[in-house]
Amino acid sequence: MAFVNLQNVTYQYPLTKSPVLQDITLQIEEGEFVAIIGPNGAGKSTLCYALGGFVPHFFKGEFSGMVEVAGKKSSDATLDEWVLTVGLAFQNPFNQISGAKYTVFEEIAFGLENTGVPREEMKSRVEQAMAQTGITDLSDRSPYTLSGGQQQRVALTSILVMQPRLLVLDEPTSQLDPIGTREVFGVIRAMAERGMTVVMAEHKMEWIAQFADRVIALKDGATLLEGTPQEVLTSDLLTENGFGISRYTSVAREARRRKRWRADVPLPVTLDQAAEGFAFTPPS
Amino acid sequence: MHERLSFHIKRDSALHRLNPLTKIFLVLALILVAFLNPWYWTPHLLVLIAITPLSLLARVGAEYFRAAARLILPAVGFLFLMQAFFQPVGEEILFQFYFLDVTRESLMFAFSNAMRIFVMVSAFTLFLLTTHPSELMSDLTRRGLPGQFSYVIISTLQILPQIQARAQTTIAAQRSRGLETEGHFIKRAGSLIPLVGPLVLGSLVEVEERAIAIEARGFTSKSLKTSLHDIPDSSIDKALRWALAVIAILSITLKLWLS
Repeated sequence: MAFVNLQNVTYQYPLTKSPVLQDITLQIEEGEFVAIIGPNGAGKSTLCYALGGFVPHFFKGEFSGMVEVAGKKSSDATLDEWVLTVGLAFQNPFNQISGAKYTVFEEIAFGLENTGVPREEMKSRVEQAMAQTGITDLSDRSPYTLSGGQQQRVALTSILVMQPRLLVLDEPTSQLDPIGTREVFGVIRAMAERGMTVVMAEHKMEWIAQFADRVIALKDGATLLEGTPQEVLTSDLLTENGFGISRYTSVAREARRRKRWRADVPLPVTLDQAAEGFAFTPPS
Repeated sequence: MHERLSFHIKRDSALHRLNPLTKIFLVLALILVAFLNPWYWTPHLLVLIAITPLSLLARVGAEYFRAAARLILPAVGFLFLMQAFFQPVGEEILFQFYFLDVTRESLMFAFSNAMRIFVMVSAFTLFLLTTHPSELMSDLTRRGLPGQFSYVIISTLQILPQIQARAQTTIAAQRSRGLETEGHFIKRAGSLIPLVGPLVLGSLVEVEERAIAIEARGFTSKSLKTSLHDIPDSSIDKALRWALAVIAILSITLKLWLS
């Protein structure tokens, strides 16, 4: 049995006419890093909410199918139990700051206070989590005086400190500048290297190519493509269906059209692959 | 822009170290005595022998005097003038201002009322200066105040300055598109409409996201909550609370007995 198991998940928000997730079936192994891509409205966020238990526990509407993580079904748990298994972080860093705390250290401890972790354990877990994400120096700052990238790292740490079995990230860098994006992906990289099971909805293909073991392309609430980053991110189906693609892929594709990219070399998804591909291409 | 809405000054003093509940008892006892004690000079004496020394003991004397001079005195002074002029009591007219008579009695009455209000507001100021809001709320939550209640108080204190900042941004954005925010009253009132939309709707959208964010951190968890900070509640605190409760009850009894 897979670590994460989705069976025929269909979900429709209240007051909408068509389902936003349609019959999604998906297995994820422990330690795997899965990226979810898709145009706006494809159901990426809703899939993240379904994994995080917010569908159907927070958002009402019509839900059918099954979400199972680490052998437990989300429909059998209450939301406050489920968040201990699946941690969810999302786009807006500002809105993820609880507002109930005056320092970063307290902010990260918030989830542990809520779930009744004893004080000594709480302190050591907060310190450890801050060290892992590299924000120890922000400890005494007010969460509201931080930059977007710093706030997002605090938000991630606040989730990680609760030691979830699965980490779900819904476009964690979409509202950040390039520096903030690099900071946050640095943290995500560290998590991936530590062997954390991660599901991340993301638009930034170059970053996905670096981290993901597997990429799932969603369109209109259903799986369009699934495979390794190399297979999915260079597929012609992506551009045909209105997905954004990495600039390396699009430049190489144009080069291939003009016969300047060798037919036997796969299209690149990272800077390194592109540089290599172009270096090998003999000028004609 | 203010970072947060809080008067709290971080110092190390006996008053800072008291349990927040003890300080609430102290404030309430001071107010009760000031308002109920029959002796005319009680409120004045309280300022002299209780509030001022306490502010010095708490090492927030400078901040307290600044707050008293800038905020409390003007408000209390206004109250004093209104009551002195408009209180129709007494015979002995000290001076007249057009049709308004100021009598000895109205002056005495106004002064004593103003001093009572002064005691009340300064006692609260002293409390806010020496108590961190989150410390107060964790302590009250530990004593059985619902967690949702303290969350609402603390997050409002923190988020209001953020909303204020966003209002400024929205005003600037609308002005850059030609909205006139200066001029006569009606024009200015009209210019509020394009401000209210983005601000209110934006805040409503945020509420849902913030709800998800705190749910994701077990806010509604049914397990017993713990607290990062240990808020001391010593035997001195308990003894003080008893003493202050006795003082409060005595002043209520005295008031009832005399009337």
